[in-house]
Amino acid sequence: MDLLLDAIVLGLLVGCFYAAVSVGLSVAFGLLDVPHIAHPAFLVLGAYGTYMLNRMGWDPILAGVALMPAFMLLGIAVYRFYYETFERRGSDAGLRGLAFFFGVVFIVEVGLVMVFGVDQRLVEAPYIGKSLAVGDMRLPLRLLVAFAMALVLTIGLSLYLSKTFTGRAIKAVAQDETALRLMGANPVRIKQWAFGIATAVTGLAGALLIIVGPVEPTIDRVYIGRTFCVVVLAGLGSMSGTLVAGIILGISESIVLTLLGASWAPAVSFGLLLVMLGIRPQGLFGR
Amino acid sequence: MALELTIENIDAGYGAVRALQGVSMHVGNGETAALLGTNGNGKSTLMKCVMGMVRPTRGTLMLTIDGVEHDLTKLSTEEIVNIGVAMVPEGRRLFPRLTVEENLLLGAFRPQARAEIAKNASFCYEAFPLLKERRRQLAGSMSGGQQQMLAIARALMSSPKLLLVDEPSVGLAPILVSQTITKIKELKEQYGLTVLMAEQNFHQAIRIADRGYIIVHGEIVFDGNVAELEKNDLVKNYYLGTAA
Ligand SMILES: Nc1ncnc2c1ncn2[C@@H]1O[C@H](COP(=O)(O)OP(=O)(O)O)[C@@H](O)[C@H]1O
Ligand SMILES: [Mg+2]
Repeated sequence: MDLLLDAIVLGLLVGCFYAAVSVGLSVAFGLLDVPHIAHPAFLVLGAYGTYMLNRMGWDPILAGVALMPAFMLLGIAVYRFYYETFERRGSDAGLRGLAFFFGVVFIVEVGLVMVFGVDQRLVEAPYIGKSLAVGDMRLPLRLLVAFAMALVLTIGLSLYLSKTFTGRAIKAVAQDETALRLMGANPVRIKQWAFGIATAVTGLAGALLIIVGPVEPTIDRVYIGRTFCVVVLAGLGSMSGTLVAGIILGISESIVLTLLGASWAPAVSFGLLLVMLGIRPQGLFGR
Repeated sequence: MALELTIENIDAGYGAVRALQGVSMHVGNGETAALLGTNGNGKSTLMKCVMGMVRPTRGTLMLTIDGVEHDLTKLSTEEIVNIGVAMVPEGRRLFPRLTVEENLLLGAFRPQARAEIAKNASFCYEAFPLLKERRRQLAGSMSGGQQQMLAIARALMSSPKLLLVDEPSVGLAPILVSQTITKIKELKEQYGLTVLMAEQNFHQAIRIADRGYIIVHGEIVFDGNVAELEKNDLVKNYYLGTAA
């Protein structure tokens, strides 16, 4: 029983972290309809950026925040390229877009291997390696830090989308571009900005990734399943749903890990994804 | 607060399809002009030309607001919205998976409208109390009549000076058609708007119009004030089916 309680508490913490690494995708795929399979690769890029700044003495969280403007620009550039070469030409943009983002994944992975090698990398900070005793449980401080940051990130993005004019336009853009134009907003600019924001948030989430554990250049592959699972489970584009879905995935993985062992854990995200698509394709909070 | 829309001799189409030929119109300050014609005659195309969504291949489209002249053929749709033109498009085109309130707030996207958001919102909720009641409901889950109200309210949220309404009566029950048309007249008067409305429903449209334009196969075949329209043979022929 204690084991199960431990698993649930840890799952909750990890689950919020999963939400944080997925919100960028929730915007790009859930709201903008961009088949952004390079999202986890950007996440890992953020982790390596954090690693570099950390080696120069920066705190990893601070490093993640400092990476955001550069990631914003990266996102804008990638979207612009995607738009000009694929989206704008219409009909088969989805499939060809997928190929484009697959290419981006490849470039990022190979680039990281060439620069950093295949070894695992980690960061140092006062809160990494320590833990907090709560009753009988010992909660790793790095997970608590990631948990707190994840809440800030997810809630912040959710408020941005619902309380600002640009945020609301981002929510509207994939529903009807012509109508949005009639509101006086340029849909391409809105999407470009939104993709920039999604990428900036992903850069910061990359810092959380390397705070939570060591990374290597191909760790993005584990996160393809997890991030798409969270976004689909949540209901495309629902930010509060992302938090709940992250927690569901976190707790499920954690319980499976405790009861069945580590080799089953990666199957959980794909399993949840398939079950959700089967019984409620619009997701838990889908409209 | 003077406004004047002058359309001169425009041609427009879609590739090989010619939708408008030599269309001219003039809508004066505070007027309600009705663009009348059955399906497929070019009403929506003309509205889209005014909004910069279809570019005429010939002719001029000028809008003067407070002494400033704007060449609409050179402006993007967003720029046209920003100078104070709003359109309630054919089929309403709400954001179905956003709430009523979110739809209204998107109507106020243009910078000038953001400053007047509280005033405009309370005005819209007063004009359409039902929207206030349902402000948390998803737009897509409302009935056709309610959606039409929301589409009109959303356009008003942008503080327009010129309002284009494309077939407000389409898909509505007869009682709602009459209510909607009356509402457009009331709003026009309260807001001091100039209105250009496309309609198939001749009798309803001329109840509130000052001037009517009959469009057939992309050409204006008759225009005049309401009294002239009602006694014109062509109109009788076309709409009322009296002359044979
Ligand atoms: N997107 C389009 N592509 C090609 N032809 C079009 C398009 N939209 C309208 N048309 C054609 O242009 C003509 C005028 O259409 P429209 O302006 O929509 O008429 P109305 O609004 O009076 O029903 C019709 O012949 C219609 O088939
Ligand atoms: Mg039409």
